[in-house]
Amino acid sequence: MASPDTPIDSGHRLSDWFDERLGARDLFAALVHVRIPANARTFYFGGVTLFLFGVQVVTGTLLVLYYKPTPDAAFDSVKYITSVVEFGWLIRSVHHWAANLMIVFLVLHLARVFIQAAYKYPRELIWLMGIGLLAVTIGFGFTGYLLPWDQRAYWATVVGTEIAGGVPVVGPALLDLLRGGADVTDATLGRFFGMHVLVLPLLLGAFLVAHLTIVHQLGLANPRRPTPRKQAVTRTPTVVVPGTTPERLKPFFPNYVLDEAIAWAAMLALLVVLASMLPAGLEAKANPIETPAHVKPEWYFLAAYQLLKIVPRDVGIMAPIVGIAILGLLPFLDRNPEVRARKRPLALLLGLVVAVSVAGLSVWGYYS
Amino acid sequence: MQPTSVDRATSGDPATTEDLSRGIASPGRRRFLRAALSFSVVSTIAMILTPIVGFLIPPKSSGGAGVGRIPVGTTADLPVGNGTVVAMGSKPVIVVNTTAGIKAYSAVCTHLGCIVAFDPTADAIICPCHDGRFSPTNGSVISGPPPQPLPPIAVAVEKDQIFLVSG
Repeated sequence: MASPDTPIDSGHRLSDWFDERLGARDLFAALVHVRIPANARTFYFGGVTLFLFGVQVVTGTLLVLYYKPTPDAAFDSVKYITSVVEFGWLIRSVHHWAANLMIVFLVLHLARVFIQAAYKYPRELIWLMGIGLLAVTIGFGFTGYLLPWDQRAYWATVVGTEIAGGVPVVGPALLDLLRGGADVTDATLGRFFGMHVLVLPLLLGAFLVAHLTIVHQLGLANPRRPTPRKQAVTRTPTVVVPGTTPERLKPFFPNYVLDEAIAWAAMLALLVVLASMLPAGLEAKANPIETPAHVKPEWYFLAAYQLLKIVPRDVGIMAPIVGIAILGLLPFLDRNPEVRARKRPLALLLGLVVAVSVAGLSVWGYYS
Repeated sequence: MQPTSVDRATSGDPATTEDLSRGIASPGRRRFLRAALSFSVVSTIAMILTPIVGFLIPPKSSGGAGVGRIPVGTTADLPVGNGTVVAMGSKPVIVVNTTAGIKAYSAVCTHLGCIVAFDPTADAIICPCHDGRFSPTNGSVISGPPPQPLPPIAVAVEKDQIFLVSG
């Protein structure tokens, strides 16, 4: 029998001490000891996006210790981080790649939810919060892009803010608000820095808490059967919908959490490999009176860039905004209760047309 | 201490019903309190938002195009079939020596604000962002997405000196 002074006993006493004051065991049990449909296939896209956001918080906090948000100093401070600071190249490149991968996994997560119809009743709000997260993530890409103050950063921001300025009615005020004046100047850099490191992280945190709280409350969607209307939503296997077999469930913890942890570890390895083999670059310092030849935006803005080349300005500006609005309203537009992919040919065909169009425009923009 | 109507309500005092019904029966007071509370909430929100919005709107800048004559260089620096971009105050201007004489236009593309450049091989003013093309002789759109021509800028040549004239 262990004496009262053994380490195991001390450990228990310590955790008991905290539990009595925090109720942490109950909280932990309520958070992770839930059951999910045995046939749920998330491919860990959402969880990986969350992990990448965590990476951005850590690397971004480190970068801000050396970065100077003024036109005279920004470019040199980024150069200093990359070439002088110990592991600066790694931290900056991981930040760069995690930003890109965050967009990739967010889009994959969105595609998975669309194909499995997990946006349908009662999960409309989860989808809306997800669209909010997509918008904030694009905002992160847009504001973070200017910070190195190189030619590509500067001109991408000129074009991007002009696009915002072309929105009917509110455009001119929006342009003024974004740029902090008529042109892209030190005022713009200050505003973008403030948005990137403070406003957007707080906004993303709020959307994330709402998104995950509702996911926790409703549980993961079953990709084979819709959630019945006007009945209490439950994750216990005891309630059986008339005419169906009981839903097979599995524990979220540790089964799902362990798989998720493996996906996160793989992602961390991928980040280090990408950052080492393809480190983030830096072009010439921004020159407000010379646009470099063949300047192009980041890959995730290439479709919008190409669209602006081939259609009238107003159409090119409004098309992506209307597209995202329709995407946000999808749960309210698609009234079909069916969730199985093979029984929703029209929805999947429309989704495929949109995906192929965006991919086609991006490839065209890349090679044009 | 005198019991309040709420105390009495919870204790089952018969006077309570009377007190409460009197409260409910005075919709005027209730309406007034609701209006006062709404006004208070709205004015508090306005009080917080006014300085925030005011702070976010940037002050009007005094910068812009310079006034007067801005030297560009000599005609020898800019032979026929060549162009250059110069700053006129904070505004970039493209100056091109064409067969029809020396012309100057705002160098800000009318599509999405990139800075245009003269391409001698294409004999056109080209925007590198979305491939908009303008005529060097009159600034009109030759091809691409720009919705309007480049605005002309007055240019003067005195002896061999080229000047931009503004103001």
